Amino acid sequence: MHIFEKRWSTALSADKKEYTQFVMRQDETVESFLQFDPERGIALQHTNGSLAGIPFGVKDNLAVDSYQLTCGSKILSGFTSPYTATAVQKLIDNGAVVVGKTNLDQFGMGSSTDTSAFKKTNNPWDTERVAGGSSGGSAAAVAAGLVPFALGTDTGGSVRQPASFCGIYGLKPTYGVVSRYGLTAYASSLDVVGVLSKTVDQSRIVFNLMKGQDERDNTSIMHPGSSNGGAVKRIGVLTAQKGVLHPDVEKSYAEAVGRLQQNGYTTREIDIETMKYVVPVYYTIATAEASANLARYTGIRYGYAAQDAKSSSDLMEESRNEGFGDEIKLRILLGTYVLRSGFQDQYYHRAQKIRTAIRNEFSRLFNEVDVILMPVFPTPPFKHGDSELTPFQQKVADKYTCAANLTGFPAISIPSSVENGLPVGVQLIAPPFEEERLFAVARVCEKDFPSPDSPLYKTSWS
Amino acid sequence: MYQTFIGLEIHIHLITNSKVFCSCRNEFGAEPNTNICPVCMGYPGVLPSLNAEAVRKSYQVCMALDCTLNETAIFERKNYFYPDMPKNYQISQFAFPFGINGFFDIDLGGGTVKRIRIHDVHLEEDAGKMIHSGGVSFLDYNRAGTPLLEIVTEPDLASGEEAEIFLQQFRQMVRYLGVTDGNMEEGSMRCDANVSINEQGKGLGIKTEVKNLNSSRFVNKALEYEIKRHTKVISAGGTIIQETRLWDEDRNVTRSMRTKESSNDYRYFPEPDLPPYLPDKDFLQEVRESLVELPLARKGRFMSEYALSESSAAFVTGEKEIADFFEKMVQHGVAPQTAARWLSGDVQKQLNLSGESLKASALTPERLSRLLVMVEDGKISRDAAKKVLAAIFTENEEPEKLVKDLGLEQVSNKEDLEKVVSEIVNAHEKVAEAIRNGADKQIGFLMGQVMKATAGKANPKIAQQLIKNNIFKQG
Ligand SMILES: [Zn+2]
Repeated sequence: MHIFEKRWSTALSADKKEYTQFVMRQDETVESFLQFDPERGIALQHTNGSLAGIPFGVKDNLAVDSYQLTCGSKILSGFTSPYTATAVQKLIDNGAVVVGKTNLDQFGMGSSTDTSAFKKTNNPWDTERVAGGSSGGSAAAVAAGLVPFALGTDTGGSVRQPASFCGIYGLKPTYGVVSRYGLTAYASSLDVVGVLSKTVDQSRIVFNLMKGQDERDNTSIMHPGSSNGGAVKRIGVLTAQKGVLHPDVEKSYAEAVGRLQQNGYTTREIDIETMKYVVPVYYTIATAEASANLARYTGIRYGYAAQDAKSSSDLMEESRNEGFGDEIKLRILLGTYVLRSGFQDQYYHRAQKIRTAIRNEFSRLFNEVDVILMPVFPTPPFKHGDSELTPFQQKVADKYTCAANLTGFPAISIPSSVENGLPVGVQLIAPPFEEERLFAVARVCEKDFPSPDSPLYKTSWS
Repeated sequence: MYQTFIGLEIHIHLITNSKVFCSCRNEFGAEPNTNICPVCMGYPGVLPSLNAEAVRKSYQVCMALDCTLNETAIFERKNYFYPDMPKNYQISQFAFPFGINGFFDIDLGGGTVKRIRIHDVHLEEDAGKMIHSGGVSFLDYNRAGTPLLEIVTEPDLASGEEAEIFLQQFRQMVRYLGVTDGNMEEGSMRCDANVSINEQGKGLGIKTEVKNLNSSRFVNKALEYEIKRHTKVISAGGTIIQETRLWDEDRNVTRSMRTKESSNDYRYFPEPDLPPYLPDKDFLQEVRESLVELPLARKGRFMSEYALSESSAAFVTGEKEIADFFEKMVQHGVAPQTAARWLSGDVQKQLNLSGESLKASALTPERLSRLLVMVEDGKISRDAAKKVLAAIFTENEEPEKLVKDLGLEQVSNKEDLEKVVSEIVNAHEKVAEAIRNGADKQIGFLMGQVMKATAGKANPKIAQQLIKNNIFKQG
């Protein structure tokens, strides 16, 4: 069995029109791409390699030379990137072809992709519902069969949650093993480039090609390889508190545990004391960093510039006021607040201390288990708008995914079942550099329950 | 009755090939916005990559100032909005800079040395430049991201003059290290000063900060102005307002800035894009070994080792290239005093004329040494040597060849000289008579005449002896 079906390696060669038209037609329903333009990607491609000719989508907060880079925000509308992100370049260097830029929550801030300034992406399982976020465009494109894999970024669950909502695999690697150069920063100490794919091996091969130290990213590190060859025997299962999970998710979670036991893994229920701090700590650190990271968007050098500003400070103020969406403004305000001098001990420094405590607790747990299983998100894909989950509830719901970002540990979201016509996923977390353990368990699960095809998924272009 | 406390914040532009966080060239005076790239322009997705050369030079300064080196140095983000700051935060160091608690000894002359404590030394990136012209603002980002080292002193300076001396000697020191050219006019060395006064023994007063000081002389003048202003306010029972003031060099006054900027909360926090910097021992050892002898130490050594006067030693050690040049000449057998005299006198004159630096000129220690040895050996006169020196600058030739080409070899042949001397003595019989009667000083007049007649080529020692012989033999 090939890692990529033949149709993918030929999609852009012989008769690329068929493929292109298929994507454009399908995407009228899904709205996953902000820019679909394979010709630009073909122009960037000069080599063959293990991914020769394979099309892939790139979340629109990752820089690709000659493509737009909007981050889903009006403040970067019309901006074209003059360079390519290292992670993307490594895939191009192995023959893969960028076909377009996928939709996202503005600057990666959100769990629905609905905060995008340009369009709402629909879940291929039910277009009334969101594809998740913030890498919702990438997840929907893969689940709708438009590309075999797509790149996303994961700051607090932005790869894993949409993968779960769309019934595909979503990998968040160990922090630092994939270069962040070219990833538009939301929260620098949490941001990671991740992969969303239809199969486990696709994520694995893409990850292995992307990883590596990069002189352009001083925080990048060389991957030392797994310490135990990726072997997994003991799985810690986070005890799901009563009433926290939606019944469909609870059912699916139990099913996943059963599947692991049937496959010979030793499971053990665990409690994680520091879990209750994950969300406040995450939002303190992420917004603090975001408040500085987003300061560069002022309309002066690039991007959206307010008209008729009277002075440079007016230009900056008005461009930011008109260019940023509400969710961005909320997080910048929050981040500015927690960083005020005299208040850092109470918020930012305290959050960093708790972050260390969370990492320590996870590290301790990994002395006893090889990987940890937990839910991805407490609910199935929710409907557009806030009728089902308000933005505040969405933030509280990030608790399962944010832990892996705060610790820097690798995690993968794998499909566990389809409940009432909607996919549900579970999440595995491993110690740092132990992606191989994640792939090993995911592959075992995949045999019993492969990524289910969404109603829109097709295996041919016609 | 009042005590003055002055502290300085000095920024020096480090000389490096590339900027501190990207590979753009670090140069002064290029066409606007030609040395820029996505990184130093703060494009979405870019990351800083720390320049090892800038780090090395930072540590050189830290060590020259005897700083304690933090085991872990941490870069932080200093947040504020300004159009010439591409990211609207500056990557700097705050709580854990490269160096802390150092000192710099300033030489106040006459053997008085004052120790000024250094609070810290930290590396940061510079901003671009905003130029206002006719209601329009232009931005040049060439300077954005160039490496800037900030040195902060404790408030140990007591007058404008001391501050000026500090700056001059500090500039000398960092030029010795070769980490900056220290040009204040071009902005490669900048200085902000803070000053407060208080009744003797009562500690620091309320300080004001003065900016826009483009030379060490302005630093002196601005501080003296502020000291007088503070004294006047406090003597009248008033209170100083803590604020930032600008030096107005046209009117010789400081003015309050009255902007929002001074009340900024920079919201420092550790730069997540750069890991903490842990200098390794071998690197530090290697930097320490590469440190050159610093001006104050070298001056002291030149006074004791070469018996130079204080002023002469101060001149020679003022620039590292002159001091190096001097020591090479001594190695080539030139007497230290002679070498120092020529370097501070005629060589300096020639350099002023040609506008060259010593290094760029045609003069080498070897050439000057050989020339002066010729004087010592009586082959040419001192005046002739001055002509040869000038010719070396213009002709770029060896001194021996120039002496020959210019016909400056001394006439030491006794017969030839005797003839000239007897003619002169005969022509000035009255002078000769006076000398016979004890007016020794008049020999000088006859010497002048001999030199005139030989176009300065007569060997003065021999000529003088022949004059005496001639006069007293005739008597
Ligand atoms: Zn640059």
